[in-house]
Amino acid sequence: MLAGAVLVISIVLFSIATVTLWWMMHAWRTPEVLESTTFAQSDGQTGLSITLLLPIRHERQDVVENTVQKMLECDHDNFDIVIITGADDPETTGIARRLALIDPTKIHTVIDPAPRNKATALNAALASGQCLGDILGVFDAEDVVHPELLNHVDHAFRAEDADVVQGGVQLLNFYSSWYSLRNCLEYFFWFRSRLHLQAEKGFITLGGNTVFLKRELVEPPPGSDAQWGWDDKCLAEDCELGVRLSSAGKKVVVAYSPEMVTREETPDTLKSFVKQRTRWNQGFLQVYRKGDWRQLPTRRQRMLARFTLSTPFYQAASGLAVPTGILIGILVKVPMVIAMASWLPVVPMFLVLAFEMAALRDFGKEYFGKEQPDQSHKVGFGSYVKLVIGMPFFQIILMFAALRAVWREMRGHKDWELTKHVGAHLVAPAPSSAATSA
Amino acid sequence: MSTTLDRPIERAPINKAEAWRFLGRPADFWLCAAATLAVLLVQAWNIAGYPRVFDDEGTYLVQAYAIDHGMGLTPYTYVFDHPPLGWIQLSTLAWIPAAIWHSPGQLVVAYSRIIMLPFTVASCILLYVLSRRMTLPRWAATLAVLLFGLSPLSVTLQREIFLDNIAVTWILAAFVLAYSPRKHLWAHVGSGLCAAVAVLSKETILLAVPALVVALWQNVDKRTRKYSFVGFAGAFLLLIIQYPLYAILKGELWSTGGKISEIAGITYQLSRPGSGSIFDHSSNAYSVLHNWLFYDPVLIVAGAVAVVVSLAYRHLRPVAIGGVILVLAAIRPSGYLPAMYIIQMLPFFAIGIAGLADRVVHAILTYRAKPVFWQQLSRLAVLLVCIMLAFVYVVPRWYSGDQNADTQDLNTGYADAVEWVHTHIPHPGDQRIVVDDTLFLDMLQDGFKPSRYDIYFFKLDVDPDVMDSLGGSEANKWKSIQYVIETPYMWENAVQSYTTEKVLQNSKVVWYYGAYPPNSIKGQNSDVEIRQVVP
Repeated sequence: MLAGAVLVISIVLFSIATVTLWWMMHAWRTPEVLESTTFAQSDGQTGLSITLLLPIRHERQDVVENTVQKMLECDHDNFDIVIITGADDPETTGIARRLALIDPTKIHTVIDPAPRNKATALNAALASGQCLGDILGVFDAEDVVHPELLNHVDHAFRAEDADVVQGGVQLLNFYSSWYSLRNCLEYFFWFRSRLHLQAEKGFITLGGNTVFLKRELVEPPPGSDAQWGWDDKCLAEDCELGVRLSSAGKKVVVAYSPEMVTREETPDTLKSFVKQRTRWNQGFLQVYRKGDWRQLPTRRQRMLARFTLSTPFYQAASGLAVPTGILIGILVKVPMVIAMASWLPVVPMFLVLAFEMAALRDFGKEYFGKEQPDQSHKVGFGSYVKLVIGMPFFQIILMFAALRAVWREMRGHKDWELTKHVGAHLVAPAPSSAATSA
Repeated sequence: MSTTLDRPIERAPINKAEAWRFLGRPADFWLCAAATLAVLLVQAWNIAGYPRVFDDEGTYLVQAYAIDHGMGLTPYTYVFDHPPLGWIQLSTLAWIPAAIWHSPGQLVVAYSRIIMLPFTVASCILLYVLSRRMTLPRWAATLAVLLFGLSPLSVTLQREIFLDNIAVTWILAAFVLAYSPRKHLWAHVGSGLCAAVAVLSKETILLAVPALVVALWQNVDKRTRKYSFVGFAGAFLLLIIQYPLYAILKGELWSTGGKISEIAGITYQLSRPGSGSIFDHSSNAYSVLHNWLFYDPVLIVAGAVAVVVSLAYRHLRPVAIGGVILVLAAIRPSGYLPAMYIIQMLPFFAIGIAGLADRVVHAILTYRAKPVFWQQLSRLAVLLVCIMLAFVYVVPRWYSGDQNADTQDLNTGYADAVEWVHTHIPHPGDQRIVVDDTLFLDMLQDGFKPSRYDIYFFKLDVDPDVMDSLGGSEANKWKSIQYVIETPYMWENAVQSYTTEKVLQNSKVVWYYGAYPPNSIKGQNSDVEIRQVVP
């Protein structure tokens, strides 16, 4: 009985881990696939107007100013910026107003009258009538935008007839803590590889920023009360929007070029990391329950949706089940075949670890390598050691966040736990004493 | 199309074979199918009659039987002599001979050889695909398959239930996947997995893995190379590690005081007494080599030369390296040279010869001389030489070798012995009979009970389980045994076991097969005696 259970669970976990591994490595399947995951060479022309949305909340002036300055350096010839602040946050609103003075023709400000989260802020911008571009692009307060990004996005929309373009986002401060290293690699695999597969299969959870979409997709439709904008009741509004749009058959294009990714930072404490992860997991759960994905046309797509949205919970389950199975295999007298089978899921898990080490090398080369401007940190031997040793502990953290999300969702806690930004990914970090908390 | 403007020297036309199709299938399909079918027919015909059943065949088949019947990895204690994956695969194919068992006069081991045919067919197909992926032309790929499968040496050894044949199939699959035309990551991971299965089927194929790494190196793309190698190595190691893991879970990874353990098993294999130099006429290695040469000197000599020369060509180099390493390991005088070792070299030899033949033909076809007449003449001359060589030297030799293989029956003595036991020994369930492993399963079929009553002589005095079941003191345990079937193999090795010797000394011949009466000249082929123990 016990033996049978161990066998079945091992086979299920092995299959899930193998499929996850398969998808994780999507971009590296063949050289051609890898080539196709990057932005196509821009034709140098522009044809679309772009509005960049920048919702900010309790932010430090230097962080936001840096972001806006970088945006203004974009060489696209037809874009403007809308900074959105909350009515309850006069301090940040003041910062936005001051920044708008830099270039009043390009920078506009919008105040969210009933601020609760990022979704309400973005919706307030849509309702304000200030968003005039054909394309809307969403960024976060601390994002560093590459000057050529908008041209490439413009080209991608036109060349591939896309409805949505998701650019790459990359966490960079792998050196900050043991979990930030793994967190950086998670992003690396997600944006470099997995999202491309999701886009190809027609079911995608978008990221929170560096997302560009046609304005008409989210604008309030005149004279209709169909859903528009971002879902302000969902804790993962970005994921929800992606699921809603891909379920409606919209074409999403993902492009990742190392030099053009939006650079971000990991949460600065383990506590805020867990909070962030809990929020995402809970958001995934909400999207799952909302059920827009059930409209996907094919069975395969619905399976993919189901699987993708419940991944954090599989992860939590396997984090518990694999060691339990192995312990049973060793301690309890079970047939040899069962004891061997309990090790089965470990095979793809270690293969993941091996690929993570390879990816860490690429990550180090693409962001901190000899030809890169940022030489402040190096991926060295210690980083690989950290990567290996950190694996079980990171699993425990993820497991905890997944269980916490389920707990909060069951108890009806649906408030927004915000992550704060200290600018660790910026080349010259600002003193962190001035950090404000959410 | 014979002239081009920028090439002043006129070239004789080369008839480039168009990629023809037949019945909607490409030329490759038909050529591969035809060559494989030819091999299959020659190897399958008279498979039970030739060659003489070999002790190891019985051992692996008995172990496959043990798995099928829930007795563990072997009917006796598993001593980590080889990794078990080879006979685990055999056990999954045991239903094939089972369909034709139980007819009297058939030797189980001999008829079970048809288990090897799927492996041979798979190896032939993989060899063809590999040759094509190595950019060999169709005719050379076909030649490689025919060399590999029709040499009398191949026909003899590939029929037999040897783990090496299984390992060859898997290592060829690993090579084919390493040559993935799309350079697909999962093909490279699959290559690592296949290589691991090969090594876990027969550990000596590990010698070919460096060649596989070279093949992979030549075939990966710079942009995805890192991931390909990590996937290959990771998959290979994670599968190999299951073998020590098994030992750990059994608590038998290492041991002291002569107890069974994996480390002890591997140490034993590595420290087996060397077979001596193949150039020393009195050595074991010499007789093993000459036994191979007896079947077919062509493939061995031409193949060994071809793999060395092929080192010079980049596209042949991986296979050449594999062949050269295996040859060097064979001529190392301190090493143990198993009788079936050459099986692993055959695919490398075959591709080496075919690849080199292609180079020679290519050189002739691109040889430019004026006037065109001379080119055509030289081509014709070379063609004639090749045909003469083939028809005067190779074909008659192979024809007669393969004819022997397809007509002679060397196993009648064994089969008759089994038949005699069946008709003359009543109540086999209460009797103890000592046999060599080739007859173990026949005795089971006849009604003897496995491992305690039907005893493989090599386990006497070695396996405590066996000895405990025999009553009496150590010196008198032989008295618990009633019968022994003496075969040449047992006769050669009896001296290793006190009890076996005792049984042979204190027994009378009740039936024999062979040209010589009992107790005259020992060790002749086909000499089989059934002896009843007289306490």
